[in-house]
Amino acid sequence: MQEPLISVKNLKKHFDVGKDAVLKAVDGISFDIYPGETFGLVGESGCGKSTAGRTLIRLYDPTDGEVIFNGKNIFTLSRNQMSEVRRNFQMIFQDPYASLNPRMTVLDIISEPLEIHQIYKSKKEMKARVIELLELVGLNDEHAMRFPHEFSGGQRQRIGIARALALNPKFIVCDEPISALDVSIQAQVVNLLKDLQEKLGLTYMFIAHDLSMVRYISDRVGVMYLGHMMELAESEELYDNPLHPYTKALLSAIPIPNPDIQRSRQRIILEGDVPSPINPKEGCRFVDRCSYAIDKCRNVTPEFEEVRPGHFAACHRIGEI
Amino acid sequence: MEKILEVKDLAVSFKTFFGEVEAVRGISFEVGKKETVAIVGESGCGKSVTANSIMQLLPMPPAFFKNGEILFNGENLLSKSEKEMQNIRGNHIAMIFQDPMTSLNPTMKVGKQIVEGLIKHHGLKHHDAKKKAIEMLDLVAVPQPEKRIEQYPHEFSGGMRQRVMIALAMISDPQLLIADEPTTALDVTVQAQILDLMKSLQERLDMSIILITHDLGVVADTSDKVVVMYAGQIVEQGLTDEIFKETAHPYTQKLLASVPRLDMNRDEALLSIEGTPPDLYIPPKGCAFYDRCDKAMKICKDNMPGFTEHSATHASRCWLNHPMAKTNEGSGI
Repeated sequence: MQEPLISVKNLKKHFDVGKDAVLKAVDGISFDIYPGETFGLVGESGCGKSTAGRTLIRLYDPTDGEVIFNGKNIFTLSRNQMSEVRRNFQMIFQDPYASLNPRMTVLDIISEPLEIHQIYKSKKEMKARVIELLELVGLNDEHAMRFPHEFSGGQRQRIGIARALALNPKFIVCDEPISALDVSIQAQVVNLLKDLQEKLGLTYMFIAHDLSMVRYISDRVGVMYLGHMMELAESEELYDNPLHPYTKALLSAIPIPNPDIQRSRQRIILEGDVPSPINPKEGCRFVDRCSYAIDKCRNVTPEFEEVRPGHFAACHRIGEI
Repeated sequence: MEKILEVKDLAVSFKTFFGEVEAVRGISFEVGKKETVAIVGESGCGKSVTANSIMQLLPMPPAFFKNGEILFNGENLLSKSEKEMQNIRGNHIAMIFQDPMTSLNPTMKVGKQIVEGLIKHHGLKHHDAKKKAIEMLDLVAVPQPEKRIEQYPHEFSGGMRQRVMIALAMISDPQLLIADEPTTALDVTVQAQILDLMKSLQERLDMSIILITHDLGVVADTSDKVVVMYAGQIVEQGLTDEIFKETAHPYTQKLLASVPRLDMNRDEALLSIEGTPPDLYIPPKGCAFYDRCDKAMKICKDNMPGFTEHSATHASRCWLNHPMAKTNEGSGI
């Protein structure tokens, strides 16, 4: 069995939101990410997927748990050690408008990480690297002296990707990198990410709410709901044989762009909304919207177990439904 | 089928400091009774301008109508006075928007926002208006409506807010509902709830719907007819089945191929459309899709293709489909 690149164990991130109120954004999730793979993380808004991604690379200080990278728990590293390790982790953000400083040129934006980590001695070398990066993402040296507002959404996302690649990272957290883009542009960016992965041997965590896109790009997919991991499996397995009632409902809610299939599909319509993650109750987080819920689900939080080889789920009634 | 709305050769432009932006460049389509027509396209293709033109919600200036007419039950909306339009907007055509938070007043209780319209437009007494407001929330399946009308919008979730917007739109039994990306801001499970609600209301109230969206899955789910827009023009329109199965325009074909589907093999390559749509300050003389089309020919650059009819309901604007074109290779026909 291959060694995982990153091993996440019982990761928790809670936010204090006032007197006696704790928002449990991520509440004890565990999974491994293997080198060269794309790990997809899906769930509805507020399920904690972005917080998980950010805590994982220690952009937030975790409440509990550990993340093992290169045999070390990165949460115990000192500031100096962390800065060394952090070169391996990068992030691509959702909003290509907000994530680029409008007062910096593209050259400055992409060379910032190089400057911080003092990679190059001369400005000339650094500029050459920036141009190399621009070409890697399908832009060119002409673009280096321009400002972000001169670019379209898709091009801006390419700049964000070039910046993320500057330090030759091993692992990139892509937090909804295409949600703000038009359909035709989404495919461009996804294809670029796939190409780069092949060329540079990158490992991705791909966070998104677009389940069809996640299925397409990911090798394995985890489904989150209210801070808990509900199900995790290889992407084909997850989409073909979902075990958890929430995953089933989620998949059936995605409209398929084919009128024949769409009209004949049986949809599971979930009642109500996602409950608040503030001071959640014991038991399964999905219990209020689940049509299979029994008393046990209200009282005991189901364990996240390997049901089939490589297929994990957290549900008391997996065998029965 | 009885026609509710007919848009004929509509052209809308915006005057800006840099010149005129031709946002909508001569589009024509029809909406029949109880029919759902989807308008699809990318940002900037003119789909929202079209919707706002029907409602006449565009700021004028800078916007102005260059050409065309919008016939609603045979009457041209473009020649109506603002007062007449107000009556039509409130009573016959209703609209819901993408972001239900910005469409509701955050400082007013939800019930009051519904009651206000009922008192103003329908002359109801306060007591009756409140009763009707509860009835409307019940219609759109907001639980505990008596309690909910005393709450503020921030106490509602995104899906519930969109239900309130739909309730507001339904108050006067509109004949036509324009839904501008109604589910884009919502999660998929909530999107499914809202689409179901819209379908059941349409069934009960005999309403026509114009659905503006970029999600082809939503289109396949809800619409009877599809209008595909690109750079301010309609490039293809037809019945939903025709658009998905007998796709005639290269842009529509590429659009369909660039969305990953759940039933698709993961090894299949995702088609991407290189480049970006043209700038509508200086709209191209020929086919607007010329720069991004891999089937483009010499004629496409400088000559605007007309519509070729593939059936009584299906037409596309592409030289490849012209009856005089040498081959129809790859055109899907």
